[in-house]
Amino acid sequence: MKIKVNGQAVEIPDHLSVADLLTHQKVKMPDMVTVQRNAEILDRKNFAATKLAEHDEIEFLYFMGGGAGVAGRSR
Amino acid sequence: MSERSLNIETLLLHGVPPPDEGTGATIPPIFQSTAFAYPSAEALEAVFAGREAGYVYTRINNPTVDHFERRVNVLEDGLGAVACASGMAAITAAALALAGAGDEIVSANSIFGGTYSLFHDTLGRCGITTRFVEATDVDAYRQALGDRTKLIFVETIGNPKLDVPDIAAIGRLARERGIALVVDNTVTTPLLVRPRELGADIVIHSASKYISGQGHAIGGVIVDCGTCDWSNARYEYLRPFHQRVQQFALLAALRNQVSKNLGGCLAPFNAFLLTLGLETLGVRMERHCSNAVAVAEFLGTHGKVEQVRYPGLAAHPDHGVASRQFHGRYGALLALRLGSRECCFRFINRLQRVRNLANMGDARTLVIHPASTFCRDLSAEQREAVGAGEDLVRLSVGLEHPDDILADIEQALKAL
Repeated sequence: MKIKVNGQAVEIPDHLSVADLLTHQKVKMPDMVTVQRNAEILDRKNFAATKLAEHDEIEFLYFMGGGAGVAGRSR
Repeated sequence: MSERSLNIETLLLHGVPPPDEGTGATIPPIFQSTAFAYPSAEALEAVFAGREAGYVYTRINNPTVDHFERRVNVLEDGLGAVACASGMAAITAAALALAGAGDEIVSANSIFGGTYSLFHDTLGRCGITTRFVEATDVDAYRQALGDRTKLIFVETIGNPKLDVPDIAAIGRLARERGIALVVDNTVTTPLLVRPRELGADIVIHSASKYISGQGHAIGGVIVDCGTCDWSNARYEYLRPFHQRVQQFALLAALRNQVSKNLGGCLAPFNAFLLTLGLETLGVRMERHCSNAVAVAEFLGTHGKVEQVRYPGLAAHPDHGVASRQFHGRYGALLALRLGSRECCFRFINRLQRVRNLANMGDARTLVIHPASTFCRDLSAEQREAVGAGEDLVRLSVGLEHPDDILADIEQALKAL
C-alpha cells in the first residue's frame, strides 16, 4: 500500500504496524524517534499496536540535531 | 534474554551493542571531530529540522558521547540521557531546563558543597530560590513545596554528612504533587541503587567519580527516567517541546536548547575514558564497599576517633534506610571526626599512601578536609548543614588491599 513518509510517497507491505515501519524504513535511532501519524503524535507504547492504513502520512521527528524546533520564548 | 532482564554487571558490558559492528571493534572509536559533514544543504537542514537523525556539532551531539549516554541510560533504566562536561554542568542544565526566574527548588540540605553553592548563589542570582530542608525529614520537604516548585533535589548519600534520605518516601511525595524528583546517584551508582525504582524522575551522575574510577576524566550525565509527565502545567518551559516530541520533551529541551546553549558538553575523549570506566564499575564497587566496611569498623573502635559516619555501621541513624535502599552495600565514603581542625590536618599530613586531594571515587584511597576545601565558600551555618565541621575529614576508600589502607590510617592516627 502507499503511504507518505516525511513527505515522500512510499510503497510498503500491507498490515505493517508503526513499529514494523521503523524497521522497514531502516529508521536511525528508533529509540529516539517521535512518530507523527496524520498530524497526530503517537504514544511510543502504541507503536506495535498501531497498524498503518493506505494514504497515512507519517513524519519522523528527532531531537538529536541542532534545531530546537520551537520558536521564540517559551513564556 | 532482553537487555532489561540482564543483571547489571552484564549490562555494564553488553547493555548497548558495539558502536562499530563493521570492524568488530568492541571499544567505541573516538570521534574527535568538532562537526559532521553532509552531502547537501537539504540533508543538513533535515537534521536541524529533526526530520532525520544525525550528528551535527559536538557541543550538541557526537557518536562517542552518544554511546556513553546510551551505556549510562541502560544502567539507570531510563528513557534517554544527555552527557555534560561535568556533574555540576549536568545539575545546572537539569535545573535550568525545569526552572527559571521566580521558580523554586526544594533541596536536601546535606548536598555536596558545590551543588549547594550552585543552588544558593548562582541560581539564586538568576532568580531561582532554593529551599534547603533537612535531608532525612520527609515532612520538611512536604512543607517546603509550593506552586512554583519545579524540582526536588536529593543525593543518595549526603556528602560529607553521609546521611541517607528515604528516596522512596520522597518519591511518593513528589509523585503526589506532580513535581520532578532529581536524584544525584554519583556516590552509590546504579550498582547500589537505581533511583528510578524508588520514584526518581531524573538521575544525575558526576561521572568523574566511580564511573571514571581512576580520576582520569571529568564528565557528567543526566538521565530522564521517562516517569514524569512533562505536559504537566508546572513545566511551562517544556510545553513547546512536549507539543513537538511528547515524552522526549526534557531530553529535547536539554539537547536542543538548555545544554546546547550553556555549552558544557562532554568531550569525546572523556566520553571514551568514561565508557571504559563503566565496564569495570561492578567489580570496583564491590571492592570499594567491602574495603569501606573494613575501614569503618576499624575506625569505629579506635580511641583517637570521636565519631565515624558511615551508613553501613549499625549505629548510623540512617542504617535502616540505607540497608533497604542500597541492598546491603553502603558506598565507600566515610567521615571521621577527630576533635579539631588541627588534628584533621595532622592526620592528613601524616598519611603516606592515602592521597590528599579534592576528588572521590578514585581507585586510590583519598582524604580531604571539607571545611577548608570544597566547603570553604559556605557560611559556618551552611557548613554545619552539609555536615562539614572543622573537625571532620572525609575518606573515599579505594581499591588497595584493606590491610594496607588500615595500616596507613593507623600510623597516621598515632600522630594525634
